[in-house]
Amino acid sequence: MVDDIKPDETLDCRGLSCPMPILKTKKAINKMDSGKIIEVLSTDPGTKNDLPAFAKRGGHEYLGHKDDEGFARLYLKVK
Amino acid sequence: MTEKKEKSVLGGILSRGYSAIFYDNWPIWVGGLLIAIMSIVTFAWARPWGVAGGLRNWGDNFFSLIGVYSAQPLSPLISTNSILTLGLLWGAFGSALMSKQFAIRMAPPLEMIKGVVGGTLMGIGSAMAGGCNVGGFYSAVSALSFSGIAMMVGLIIGAYLGLRYIYWELEHLPSGSGGASLREPKEKGFSWLQVEPYLGAAILIAAMVCAWIYNHKALTRVGGLLLCGIAFGIIIQRTRFCFVRGFRDPFMTGEGEVARAMVMSVVLSMLGFAALKWTGLRGEDAYVAQAFWFGGLVGGIIFAFGAVLSGGCGSGSVWRAGEGQVKLMIAVTCFALSMSLFETLIDFSTGLQALMGHRAFLPEFIEYKWTIIGIAVLMFVYYMLVTWNEETDKFTVEM
Repeated sequence: MVDDIKPDETLDCRGLSCPMPILKTKKAINKMDSGKIIEVLSTDPGTKNDLPAFAKRGGHEYLGHKDDEGFARLYLKVK
Repeated sequence: MTEKKEKSVLGGILSRGYSAIFYDNWPIWVGGLLIAIMSIVTFAWARPWGVAGGLRNWGDNFFSLIGVYSAQPLSPLISTNSILTLGLLWGAFGSALMSKQFAIRMAPPLEMIKGVVGGTLMGIGSAMAGGCNVGGFYSAVSALSFSGIAMMVGLIIGAYLGLRYIYWELEHLPSGSGGASLREPKEKGFSWLQVEPYLGAAILIAAMVCAWIYNHKALTRVGGLLLCGIAFGIIIQRTRFCFVRGFRDPFMTGEGEVARAMVMSVVLSMLGFAALKWTGLRGEDAYVAQAFWFGGLVGGIIFAFGAVLSGGCGSGSVWRAGEGQVKLMIAVTCFALSMSLFETLIDFSTGLQALMGHRAFLPEFIEYKWTIIGIAVLMFVYYMLVTWNEETDKFTVEM
């Protein structure tokens, strides 16, 4: 399911900690069209909680995450 | 049912329990509730919870060791300040291992610089306010000290200013993301992550052994405080409870969940402290810092600005350092050094002491009952404000 997602953009937040991944995502999706999918790479364990919460508040659709080698790939569909 | 089947049922229950505790993060309000309970237990056991005092003790010992200070500070093994903070780090480290969340996480250069600057500012702010977000705000408000309220106002202002800086940075400074590596040992046929829970369990058991040793050396209070610190570490790591979010998120994303959990926690903890003080079981002057109002207010502003830069408050930086985040390790180190230096400076200057303000124990001015009602109402107002903001985004700063 999550494996089939083809992101339109990838945002590399590896090495960044709270709150930078969320703010960078916020900035990136401001420039994206509705329906596009952004992939966020993060090493901060908190992002797995923060991004779904952020998506819910902003009305975006959180599609899930998958774990990679030492980081997570998280997917968000822009409102 | 065969014996084998029973075993697998039992195994299933145990593994579900393990995953509920150490795999899923706990809801944030559970964190607020548990922190309040532990805050009261810690005060009843010996003294209020604090974080920055421990960092100061480590800084003092470092400067004494290299010959900058002539006086010999209390050993970090005996100082209750140091033990509480050590417990927090220890508990967070053990808990991160148990949940397979420990990893040495490098950060890009700009983030490292923010760690240095943020940590240094937090040290200065804590020295002024008589503690960090814990000792200067959380425990201070619980202890019915007016400077805790002054610091709360400062923290709100500082978080706002810090966020404004971060927004500016996002627009004007080159992106520092990417390129930073996560160093994880990857030997063939050996998975580091698989070993982490066992290592974590060993580390937490070792802490209990240490507490037992303290007990045998007639230092039962110190040993108990170590366990209190460890409980804080586990609670905070599992809930990812972060005070700076309680002040920053309403401005940043409009999210008020952490703020509400924090406010609820403060009120509960305050009730416990008030009971212990009002009945005379604990000294009334405990955690009433000489910081009303300048030290609390301005210290709070400086502290929160630093906390937003480093991405963690006093407690938040320590637990994230325990999780392996290099930026926060740097922040904690700078915090300890700058707090030690700045507080020594204040100790030696009567002018600075006078500037920071005086001690203000609220029940001395408005009796216990009005103090309790007043603080509860004030916290409720903040609760309502962040919830109202959640609906209207009136205070949320747009990029």
